[in-house]
Amino acid sequence: MSAAALEVVDLCKTFGGLRAVDSVSFNVPSGSLTALIGPNGAGKTTVFNLITNFFRPDTGEVRYFGASLTGLEPGRIAALGLVRTFQSARIFPGMTTLENALVGAHLQVRAGPLRQMFWSGQSRREERALIRRAEALLELVGLSAERQVPATELPMGAQKLLEVVRALMARPRLLLLDEPAAGLNDSETAELAALLRAVRANNITVAVVEHNMSLVMGVADQVVVLDAGKLLASGTPAQMQSDARVIEAYIGQDEGAADA
Amino acid sequence: MDQFIQIVIGGLLQGSVFAIVALGYSLVYRVTGIINLSQGAFCILGALLTYSLDQTFGWPVALAAVGAAAMTALVGLAIGAAVFVPALSRLPISSMLILSAGLLTLMEGLALVVWGSQPYALPSFSGEAPIEFFGVRMTTQGFWIAGTAALIIFGLWYLLMKSAAGKALRACAENPLAARLMGIDVPRVTLASFALAAFIGGLGGIVVGPITSLQFDTGRFFTIFGFIAVAIGGLGSFLGAVVGGLLLGVVLQLAAGYVSSLFANSLAFGLLLVVLLWRPNGLFASGLARRTDVREEQRIYPPIVRLQGRGALILGVVAVLAAIALPALEPSASVMSSLVITCILFVALLGLDIVMGYAGQVSLGQAGFMAIGGYAAALLATNYGWSPLAGCAAGMLLSVACAALLSLFTMRLRGNYLALATLAFGLLVDSFAVGLTEVTGGPSGLTGIPSFALGPLVFDTSIKMYYLLIALIVVLVLLLLGGVRSAFGRALQAVRTDQTAAGALGINVARYKLIALCISAALASLAGSLYAFYFHFLSPDMVGTPRSLELLAMLVLGGEGTLLGPLLGAALLTLLPTIIQPLAAYKTLATGALLVLAVRYLPGGIFGAAAERLRRLFAARGTSSSKAEGR
Ligand SMILES: Nc1ncnc2c1ncn2[C@@H]1O[C@H](COP(=O)(O)OP(=O)(O)OP(=O)(O)O)[C@@H](O)[C@H]1O
Ligand SMILES: [Mg+2]
Repeated sequence: MSAAALEVVDLCKTFGGLRAVDSVSFNVPSGSLTALIGPNGAGKTTVFNLITNFFRPDTGEVRYFGASLTGLEPGRIAALGLVRTFQSARIFPGMTTLENALVGAHLQVRAGPLRQMFWSGQSRREERALIRRAEALLELVGLSAERQVPATELPMGAQKLLEVVRALMARPRLLLLDEPAAGLNDSETAELAALLRAVRANNITVAVVEHNMSLVMGVADQVVVLDAGKLLASGTPAQMQSDARVIEAYIGQDEGAADA
Repeated sequence: MDQFIQIVIGGLLQGSVFAIVALGYSLVYRVTGIINLSQGAFCILGALLTYSLDQTFGWPVALAAVGAAAMTALVGLAIGAAVFVPALSRLPISSMLILSAGLLTLMEGLALVVWGSQPYALPSFSGEAPIEFFGVRMTTQGFWIAGTAALIIFGLWYLLMKSAAGKALRACAENPLAARLMGIDVPRVTLASFALAAFIGGLGGIVVGPITSLQFDTGRFFTIFGFIAVAIGGLGSFLGAVVGGLLLGVVLQLAAGYVSSLFANSLAFGLLLVVLLWRPNGLFASGLARRTDVREEQRIYPPIVRLQGRGALILGVVAVLAAIALPALEPSASVMSSLVITCILFVALLGLDIVMGYAGQVSLGQAGFMAIGGYAAALLATNYGWSPLAGCAAGMLLSVACAALLSLFTMRLRGNYLALATLAFGLLVDSFAVGLTEVTGGPSGLTGIPSFALGPLVFDTSIKMYYLLIALIVVLVLLLLGGVRSAFGRALQAVRTDQTAAGALGINVARYKLIALCISAALASLAGSLYAFYFHFLSPDMVGTPRSLELLAMLVLGGEGTLLGPLLGAALLTLLPTIIQPLAAYKTLATGALLVLAVRYLPGGIFGAAAERLRRLFAARGTSSSKAEGR
């Protein structure tokens, strides 16, 4: 059954008079890596917010492996294995890099607060296992030297990588990443690309909002293009690269932003 | 019927003062997003200054009132410029709230030093003779109050809606970033609104002075009732502030007139909870909506400090051994007693650190749980022959039940509201402790409470109590350490700084807030019980709101999120005034000042600063011995 991991059906959302998302429908096939692209303000982040129920859609529905997500709390959605990151890296201040990664594994922990307080063997074992897994993932993105550093002291790029690691610690089935490469330098972007390939190889479905075209073209199986709240086109990376409407939407926008 | 009208008029008068305070709240909230708890202190400052100018310096009362209002505005300006506005851009909202609680304590302490603790009464502005008005008698002071309130409301409306300054202020309220881009000096506008709120508060206090008993800590009363008014009306809404204030005044007077003043206080608190539950944004929501998926500018959260590994273990063992050896120095009876009090307060502080330091939920009603635990255990042990241990347990259960009930109301609300609900809760417990005279002994307290005992072991001396507490504290610290260094503690810390991101990772934010609040209630309750058993006596002012604010100061000074730090804060604020007696009069002032300074300049408190030093030291040693470790 390689059904769709995510079916977005006719989503609409208006803010005041602005139609931020206007009847958008697309599918994310299970096991694929789907990229969501579009000019600034196209509504990409809003689509993510609607999928994870941070905003309630005006109309439309989201189905996750066939089941409707309508009305579920963001926390419940995470418990189903649908985990997201934020465009502005939202790592937790006051905690170290390692601890930030460990927070992601919150739902994996079996021992309840009482057992943790009594230093039970089960809880200690679990804790050690989680630390090992977190350290392995941090190693993969080149952050293991910084694991005891307060996470807010990391440079922006590293914080974004840490957020991806944190999401992976939750053992997601479907991962939504909002501009993970923004603020990353070239070597960090390469590490991210390697990480994304490793993620897909582990059979985790990924949907990613991204502006970095070479990254998108390098790793995506499918590209969905939004413009001004509407679905503009969708297809393989190669198809999108040669699609006239897509080129126009990007050029119309990029002329001003090219130097920025 | 006449009596009814009389009461309603009285309510409207009292309500206009609440409305004035509420307007001050709304003004500051709109511009900064902060609930400024020191608002009520300006009322009392204005009134007491009027008293001094009039009585001591012999100014005519009208002149004294104007002079006092001007001086209050100046104090507001000074505090705003020196403390409030500079802190605004750096501290998270919860810390700003603590800062404003610190300012409230600071101003109370100042009033205590200047005016002492006796009550004052202002003379009426225009004689005491009342006027008959269609058969309704009214004091002339009533006209002063109503007139001033009307003038303030009209003046504020004109300023905000019609003047250029008002436009700038509204721009700051709606979008500070855009306002800055438009060339508005946001800090200056913020400062102006803070000082204006102080001025308004001062005026309110001055006109209501002649019909109120003025004491150094009456400001707290204005702070809480003004807040209830503004929460009913809707934070940030000016119409809401006025309607909420008047409504609250009338309801309070009716309840007090026809039932009892205890009932009136409970009703005010109940009204607040109902509004919070039914319309969290108040009756007149101001319609200010800010995007929540983008993060506001990064604010500096105090780091969660931890010492790890062998060093921490050695340090802990040394500390415990030192604590055990301390009585060998043969301290005087009063110092020994202070040590016991320090330990008891530390038990309550451990709980406060979980809910505030780790979970980031400001609790201003910790002493309310101490009171519940203290009275429950004391009553059960004294009157019903329960064993002290069973009494403690019953108190803890009751406190946890109250905490759960409280969080039912506050669950959906963000930090600010929880803090104020806990403050209101503390005041409610306070009013019960004072009002239920037959049960609690009222203001004169409960006597004849037995010593704490575990079976045949009776802890009837300071030394015995001290060792009992050391053992208890070691156990509690170990339990809590296990919790905060595992998934539980990480979840709390995630909730503290970013509830949205925490929720996205499947952390049940409401559940963790509830657990943290329950732990803190249970520990506070235990501390309250032990307190009663130790003194064989319990009175409302031992476990009242000043105690809550003192605990807050001890926590922040010692270090939030450090578990052990608060011990330093408790020791400092308990032992110092005992050892150096002349300091006692300045205790409230010092508590407030230290709280403000610690929030502003010492994130992580004394313990945090010390631990950071140690960490740096070890890190430096680590790098010099093994160069491979990097950095
Ligand atoms: N909470 C909100 N309130 C009001 N308007 C909003 C809100 N969230 C998004 N918008 C508006 O909706 C539109 C789409 O925003 P969105 O953040 O989804 O764009 P995006 O495609 O993610 O752009 P970018 O590439 O800049 O991240 C924008 O015009 C934005 O201003
Ligand atoms: Mg976006």
